[in-house]
Amino acid sequence: MSGLPAPARRAGTGTGDPGRRGLPRPVVPLAVAGLALLLLPLAGLVARTPLRTVPEILADPAVGEALRLSLLSSLAALVLATVLGLPLALLFARADFPGKSLLRALAVLPMVLPPVVGGVGLLLAFGRRGIVGGPLAQATGIVIPFTPVAVVLAATFVAMPFLVVTVESGLRLLDRRYEDAATTLGAGPWTTFRRVTLPLIWPSLAAGMALCWARALGEFGATITFAGNLSGRTQTMPLAVYVELQRNPEAAYLLSLLLLAVSVAVLVALRDRFLGGR
Amino acid sequence: MSLHAHVVADVGALHLDVRLHAAAGEVVAVLGPNGAGKTTLLRALAGLVPLSAGRVVLDGRVLEDPATASRRTAEDRDVGFVFQDHLLFPNLSVLDNVAFGLRCRGVRKGRAREIAAAWIGRVELASLAQARPGALSGGQAQRVALARALACSPALLLLDEPLAALDVQARQSMRRLLRRHLDAFGGPCVIVTHQPLEAIALADRLVIVEQGVVVQDGAAAEVARRPRSRWVARLVGLNLYRGTARDHTVALEGGGSLRTADAAGGEVFATVHPRAVALHPEAPRGSPRNAWRGTVAEIDLHGDHVRVHVEGPIPIVAEITPAGLADLSLSEGQPTWVSVKASAVDLFPR
Repeated sequence: MSGLPAPARRAGTGTGDPGRRGLPRPVVPLAVAGLALLLLPLAGLVARTPLRTVPEILADPAVGEALRLSLLSSLAALVLATVLGLPLALLFARADFPGKSLLRALAVLPMVLPPVVGGVGLLLAFGRRGIVGGPLAQATGIVIPFTPVAVVLAATFVAMPFLVVTVESGLRLLDRRYEDAATTLGAGPWTTFRRVTLPLIWPSLAAGMALCWARALGEFGATITFAGNLSGRTQTMPLAVYVELQRNPEAAYLLSLLLLAVSVAVLVALRDRFLGGR
Repeated sequence: MSLHAHVVADVGALHLDVRLHAAAGEVVAVLGPNGAGKTTLLRALAGLVPLSAGRVVLDGRVLEDPATASRRTAEDRDVGFVFQDHLLFPNLSVLDNVAFGLRCRGVRKGRAREIAAAWIGRVELASLAQARPGALSGGQAQRVALARALACSPALLLLDEPLAALDVQARQSMRRLLRRHLDAFGGPCVIVTHQPLEAIALADRLVIVEQGVVVQDGAAAEVARRPRSRWVARLVGLNLYRGTARDHTVALEGGGSLRTADAAGGEVFATVHPRAVALHPEAPRGSPRNAWRGTVAEIDLHGDHVRVHVEGPIPIVAEITPAGLADLSLSEGQPTWVSVKASAVDLFPR
């Protein structure tokens, strides 16, 4: 993650750079085409969303439910990912144990795994006949898949690695002598973590949480596979967008625009990291 | 209150094996070139680096003894540590930085802040108590770091190059402040530096560490007069005098006076590099402003150079070449003339 900002910053300092004179001829038209591909869908969303009908669409119970469920489940996923991901990042950054690099690679795999594959995996682990879900259902009668809990688990599964990776890089960049200083002043491990480490890595943690939440909010593949698409129960915003597109396109446009707004807000909040502070 | 330490530790390629003792109220300076293991020594004393052998005893309490597998953690050692680059917590105000150690020791917030505020006053920064460390100059930050370490009334004070990161101006005022606080501090203090004059100005005793071992241990004047290694000779082997400067003259405590090129005032250390001391068979003519007659007390041969100790109104060591020694045909007990240019006398405020 930390590798992204630097090149982005460099690319932004183009004016007056003597190196720019030597650009090969096809670069500009191809770059413009690339930009168009990225920007036209956004323009379409903004242009075609019927803002007049907003109250009407939001009054639709299916839309309202999807919105509520998305917010609650993504926030729950964020809390779960933070509570579990922060210790995991600490372990990866600070501890040494056999097989660490392999475990670390597996733990961040969901970042590049097709989400639908993640959903199948979740079913096989926590499903009614899964390796954990089976015994759990037998012992307690609790069934996870196709419930709101499954929505949260699916979102956490795909989103937590973003938090882990970001926080871990923050921990690695931290000057550990601050912690030494706290220790010589009589601070135990918990006090040192709470009053020194945590404030010092806060920018990384905040960035990780923002990325994690954005990813959780947009989760589709793992959710539909593991939690289904039950309106009012497991149908989150992205699923609702997909469904509404057939039924009521204008609602789909509005929901899409909402999700777009959230993404832009996250990007703005992280502007120092991803937009080079410009 | 005293420190008795035998520190054996391995960090990377460095094997450190140093015996260090400091009495209550004594300031010991650990001097040595970069990579000698000075910082590792301090970190080991503080409990931030484990010993592989040896023993650390403070006030009769065993802090660490690998032989009996006993070890107090760093948080439980009651040691004050001032780091080279202050390491103030950037998210806390100056006041809360200084109160940090007291809070960790269970002092209530209000009381801890009271004590902290008093310490901030003692390092002359009362007006900056609410400031964030980022708003401080290097010198101010280092003062806060000192206050933070002292506020817990530690049993042992460790300072790692406390002046190295400061500019010349800040360094001088910080050194005076440090001197005052070290005088007031009742426990043993170990200060690491690579700056010989700083060590001499601040410490009662010098311990020279090279490549992980002690090469010399003694009072500053003694180490300066009889350096036992090349590094010490080059950097510490200076003629060192205490005196009072007035205009272009320094009246020395041991009697006699030296003319200087720069005007100065107040209590100073005057240093003369042995290579800047010239010996003559007869009274010198020409420009040297400082010249006197003395007696050769001792001649040390050090391979490519010779250190000649001359007794007289101002005892001094001259460093000359073996050829120069032969030309002067000097021997112990013989009279000789000594000259020092005014520009070769360096002054250093005490």
